[in-house]
Amino acid sequence: MTTAAQDFLRSAVEKSANLTHRQILRRGIDTYGAAVQRGLTRFMNWEAARQKCHEIKWEAVNHLDRYLLEFEQHVNERGGHVFWAQNAEDARRYITDLAKRHNVRTIVKSKSMVTEEIHLAAALEAHDIKVFETDLGEFIVQLRHEPPYHIVTPAMHLTRDDIAALFKEKLGDVDSNDPQELVAAARRALRRAFFSAEMGITGANFLVADSGMIAITTNEGNADLGVSLPKIHVAVAGIEKVIPHLQDLALLWPMLSTSGTGQPITCYNTLVGGPRGPNEFAGPEEFHVVLLDNGRTELLADPEQRDALHCIRCGACLNACPVYRTIGGHTYGTTYSGPIGSVLTPHFRGIHEFNHLSYASSLCGACTDVCPVKIDLHHHLLHNRRNAVAANERAGSERTGFGLFRWLMSSAPRFAALGAAGRMFMRIIYSLGLAGTALDPTRKWTKMHAAPKIPKKSFRAVWKKNLAEKSALENK
Amino acid sequence: MASIENPGREAILSRIRTALTKPATRHESKIAGDIFFPISDPLDRFQKECSTNNTECLLTASLAASSAAIAEIISSLPPGPIFLQDSPMLRRLAPTLLGRRIARWSTEGLPAEESQATITLSEALVAVTGSVFVSSACGGRGAAVVAPIHIVLAFTDQLVPDLESAFARLHQQDTPQQNSMLCLITGSSRTADIEKILVMGAHGPRRFVVALSPRSE
Repeated sequence: MTTAAQDFLRSAVEKSANLTHRQILRRGIDTYGAAVQRGLTRFMNWEAARQKCHEIKWEAVNHLDRYLLEFEQHVNERGGHVFWAQNAEDARRYITDLAKRHNVRTIVKSKSMVTEEIHLAAALEAHDIKVFETDLGEFIVQLRHEPPYHIVTPAMHLTRDDIAALFKEKLGDVDSNDPQELVAAARRALRRAFFSAEMGITGANFLVADSGMIAITTNEGNADLGVSLPKIHVAVAGIEKVIPHLQDLALLWPMLSTSGTGQPITCYNTLVGGPRGPNEFAGPEEFHVVLLDNGRTELLADPEQRDALHCIRCGACLNACPVYRTIGGHTYGTTYSGPIGSVLTPHFRGIHEFNHLSYASSLCGACTDVCPVKIDLHHHLLHNRRNAVAANERAGSERTGFGLFRWLMSSAPRFAALGAAGRMFMRIIYSLGLAGTALDPTRKWTKMHAAPKIPKKSFRAVWKKNLAEKSALENK
Repeated sequence: MASIENPGREAILSRIRTALTKPATRHESKIAGDIFFPISDPLDRFQKECSTNNTECLLTASLAASSAAIAEIISSLPPGPIFLQDSPMLRRLAPTLLGRRIARWSTEGLPAEESQATITLSEALVAVTGSVFVSSACGGRGAAVVAPIHIVLAFTDQLVPDLESAFARLHQQDTPQQNSMLCLITGSSRTADIEKILVMGAHGPRRFVVALSPRSE
């Protein structure tokens, strides 16, 4: 069996060499980037907006018990139920038991990363309950038996031709690669599911404490159907999703959509606070909210990285990341990919198996710059690296290597001597045509890239020479 | 169902409380000031936003003119029931709006699957984004998304400049307390999940119409 780190490296090599994949990815992210640039012009002061969002989430996360209890109380007052799940198993068992108790055969589900995290659909299907993903992107990856590729755009890695072939095979009633017709085919297929489902499952973008309502954001309106037609509505959310006030959404909604897709606001921003009310004539008879811990309280206990729980899952850091843009979402092998995934996963699933993700970063800080809630992402990647080293999770050779590096770097003559020897050695290797072979210490690079031209002189020598010429010129 | 068993509740709460005994730093910042541009002419802004977000905003001179505009849309639709919010105003206007079509009222339950349009009122209109706030009182769950067209009969006195003031108005009307659902609708249903190409009418309506007039009663 291979480790997660080995799988990651193998897939990263494969995907970064796949130019078609990179082209699809680049087109998706460039389209997003242009939309975000337009979206930002609608803010008079984006930095003030980020600061305010940071403060809202800081207040909530640092008083998490108080706001969760307030939320629970309001949900209970309207006749809803709140279940506290310590881990994925608790959450899965509660929801499958609920479904079985009500003889649920069909479930319509809207997009939710937390349900991916706990592998909810598979658990339900093991009980012969049919689960339909109703977000178009999720529906597509579900038909392909794949996890979502991106937390906002699940099918970003597929072309319309890929999707046309998939729909032709799986749905049968469409033979076109026109996005309009493909969407219509998905709509027809899912419409039947919506009207026959006994249970709707949604995530929640926010849990509003002062109103006891969950907030769900979509463009398609699929969650609105899911919370309207079936007789039971179950919402699953991480405990960190709570926010203090309904009013906070006046900023969080536009921030989420601007950072997520570039839209000023998404099409449907829906708030649900309970089952059908006493004066209402439609809607579910039961409303359940499953609050999930699953490692979040451990992250909460780390004040240095606690702000990673501020994340609103907009996906901006994925799109900004040069590593994500090269290797794509599936390579990470985790529910949450990109910079935020590399920060969170070692906390949620163990630093032993997932510390390698924190090294898949150039530390350029683009993720931190775009984060709408100001999570210090690239520093957290450094914190994770430090923690992995402190926990003896890194290979001994890495420690030896860095020891050697420190020894070389701490003396200018030593460094210069090694530089001269290295340049000579590499010139010989490259000139003998040995680039990329076992003798080439730079083979990981030269396997995929042309060998760089090795300069004759060191940077220090060039600098010294230029300086001497410059002062000679000035002294004339 | 009575209260549910919650063995994890105390365990999670106690872990949270233990975790929070160590304080986390907060990004202190001098960055402050207004976040959004001020809205000088809400009605003008609302119309402009509607035209970019694919809402058909029909600004009319009176309730009668709005009704006539809605009636024209309804008469152009294929056969099938029209779902209406059961309100005294829409009950009164129904003969004008529907002609001989069959009405299904929200007090009868969910909209029928084959509904051709939904007609409702709204809670507030938001200028900055060209959005309409509805609640479960506006036709109940599903009213905004089942039929291929959603038509909102709205009034200029419902217009607020931004989301902040929209929430303030909802609180003032006690809307969040009175309704199990609220929805801020901005344009009609859409998706860009295939190659980031925008396609309208994913699951919800293909057309979203706001007939807007002064409240002339």
